Amino acid sequence: MPKLTINGKDVEVPPGTNLIEAARLAGFAIPHYCYHPGLSIAGQCRLCMVDIEKTPRPTIACNTLAADGMVVNTETDRVKETRRSIMEFHLINHPLDCPVCDQAGECWLQIYYMRHGLYDPRMTDEKVHKPKAVPLGPHVMLDAERCILCSRCVRFCDEITRTGEIGIFNRGDHSEIGLFPGTDLANRYSGNVVDICPVGALTDRDFRFQVRVWYLDTAKSVCPNCARGCNIDVHVNHRRPHHNEGRRVARLKPRFNAQVNKWWLCDEGRYGFRFVDDPDRLSLPAGKNGGPPAATTWDDTIRSLAETLEGARPDEIGVIASPRMSNEDLFALRRLTERLGVTHVGFRVPPAKPADDDDLLLRADRNPNTQGAELVGVGADAKPILDAARAGRVRVLWVFHHDLFASAWHEVEVRQALERVPTVIWSGTNANRTSELAHWVLPSAAWVEREGTFTNFQGRVQRFRRAIEPLGDARPDWDVIGRVLAALGAEVKATRAEHWFQELASTVSAFAGMTYRTIGDSGQIVAAAQEAATR
Amino acid sequence: MTRATVARTPVTTPIAFSAEQLAEVRRLQSLYPNPRGALLPVLHMAQDTFGYVSLEVEEYVAGLFSLSPAHVHEVVTFYTMYFQQPKGRHVVSVCHNLSCHLAGAGTLVDHLKQRLGIDVGETTEDGRITLLTVECLCACEAAPMMQVDDRYELNLTPEKIDRILEGLQ
Ligand code: SF4
Ligand code: SF4
Ligand code: FES
Ligand code: FES
Repeated sequence: MPKLTINGKDVEVPPGTNLIEAARLAGFAIPHYCYHPGLSIAGQCRLCMVDIEKTPRPTIACNTLAADGMVVNTETDRVKETRRSIMEFHLINHPLDCPVCDQAGECWLQIYYMRHGLYDPRMTDEKVHKPKAVPLGPHVMLDAERCILCSRCVRFCDEITRTGEIGIFNRGDHSEIGLFPGTDLANRYSGNVVDICPVGALTDRDFRFQVRVWYLDTAKSVCPNCARGCNIDVHVNHRRPHHNEGRRVARLKPRFNAQVNKWWLCDEGRYGFRFVDDPDRLSLPAGKNGGPPAATTWDDTIRSLAETLEGARPDEIGVIASPRMSNEDLFALRRLTERLGVTHVGFRVPPAKPADDDDLLLRADRNPNTQGAELVGVGADAKPILDAARAGRVRVLWVFHHDLFASAWHEVEVRQALERVPTVIWSGTNANRTSELAHWVLPSAAWVEREGTFTNFQGRVQRFRRAIEPLGDARPDWDVIGRVLAALGAEVKATRAEHWFQELASTVSAFAGMTYRTIGDSGQIVAAAQEAATR
Repeated sequence: MTRATVARTPVTTPIAFSAEQLAEVRRLQSLYPNPRGALLPVLHMAQDTFGYVSLEVEEYVAGLFSLSPAHVHEVVTFYTMYFQQPKGRHVVSVCHNLSCHLAGAGTLVDHLKQRLGIDVGETTEDGRITLLTVECLCACEAAPMMQVDDRYELNLTPEKIDRILEGLQ
């Protein structure tokens, strides 16, 4: 492993490490625009200059590999002067419209200018003007004047999605980013170019002008929209609640995880959070269709639920769990079904149209916790439960999250089943056609409103944290189930998701030895998957 | 260089090279370690064949190289000698860089504009001539000068220009 000296500090780095990464390891940040660890080296922005002993002039760090005995200095006068000049070049035609730029606060032009800028511009000529606020596709907005031509977005579309939509057209100070005329930036990962654009040239059409980024709070989480479980940061707006009509979740950003999603997210996941603040969110437990009163308290609800369940024979109860529930929810549910002796338990409901996957991130299984449901043990195929209900053999049916009408099951059969069951309980976040026909509708807290874990397709157990309070009276499923268990006389010690996880880990061997602490921020592989990997 | 901007009736010939041209494309591609290197000569072939490099031509050429059309568009917009709009049968490019300018290129450009009834970057209505201005063509010793199609016309005067124009049909 090459040993080198950076700013007087000795550091040993893996072979093939460039000087930006080597300096990072030594604790020094080298300013840069075009370099991105997930893309090829372009050497385009020239900002990453460093001095290397015995080299006549400053050299770009991104395209120089650390070598044994190298003596690197990132802060000589010459380097500082070079940086200042390069920043001056980058800003010659920049419109300096930070007050109306959505990138302000997380813009690397601002950040580096404050650190390395010239502060006294020498340009007196009229700037070159370029198109502003050009929608490139459904998600991305371009401001060509702010672009510093680092080519990260071009390389992303060439190297990661291999769709090649973006190019740099014209030349010299008229160069600008754009699409082939008449086309759209509509690949399934387009939102990532906004993340990697170091300046305000590419902004997010959904997010822009909602709220200044310095008002945002962040919670570490996991995307719930497919079996990969990309690691994300949930950005929420607590401090300017009057902005954007009270929308609480402002945006999702990828969180680096080398084993799961690297730096990226798909658009379906990135923009798949709107249900959280949607008008059809359920916020009160309620009875309908001849069930209990239209709006009621949780205490009354829990009591009646327990009575209803106790009043039915175990073989007259059906439970359709969901791979959208967390491991904790599912384990609480498993305890409930075991306590009642219910055998009609399943979680698999086939989607109406099989979803597609690709070789980048997206999985055909659009549920976050199918692995978890299998490992925790909440039955399998739910079709026999539907059939039993149609045959009039089910008196109480508890459906979690599914809209059975949006499944591959025949609409007529679903309707028959729901109409024949005297008590249909439905738990979930947003009203749908199944909840419309239920007698009890129980509002579930959305994933951003609670703690929990999902097990992704690799068998990686990953935590998501609470970013916002549950809406109205919505509760995590494990909480509702736990309270029903308690009302049935069971001993329930768990009062937090973490407690349910502890119980799960001490009961189901796949999770043995795991805790929220060992899972950490980047997840932990379940025993079976671990064995398979070492075999 | 100012680009030609006046659109004429678009060329309607279907966009496809002949079998011989396709063979030539493959030969050119084989000359480079990365076949993409042959993009410039192939674009010139396309321009000669189809009159100008329309977006459709860019897409066609992109297909021949398995490239995204955006990357062909990058090349076409970078260089000034690919015409993105229909051009006249003859292209007159007047040098207006330093030596030629000092030798009166400005007056010559005005003269041409007036004789042809078009502005720089435009094409005469009969499709005969496209007028452009360009930077130094390395013939300063014979300034002022212009390029007409692929030949140089040197030591220009308004009278000489009139004679040259008469010869362009
Ligand atoms: S739009 Fe952003 S990412 Fe793309 S080249 Fe310009 S500055 Fe770089
Ligand atoms: S690939 Fe799956 S987990 Fe990742 S962002 Fe997309 S939907 Fe979410
Ligand atoms: S980061 Fe090295 S040249 Fe841009
Ligand atoms: S300036 Fe006109 S040929 Fe050099």
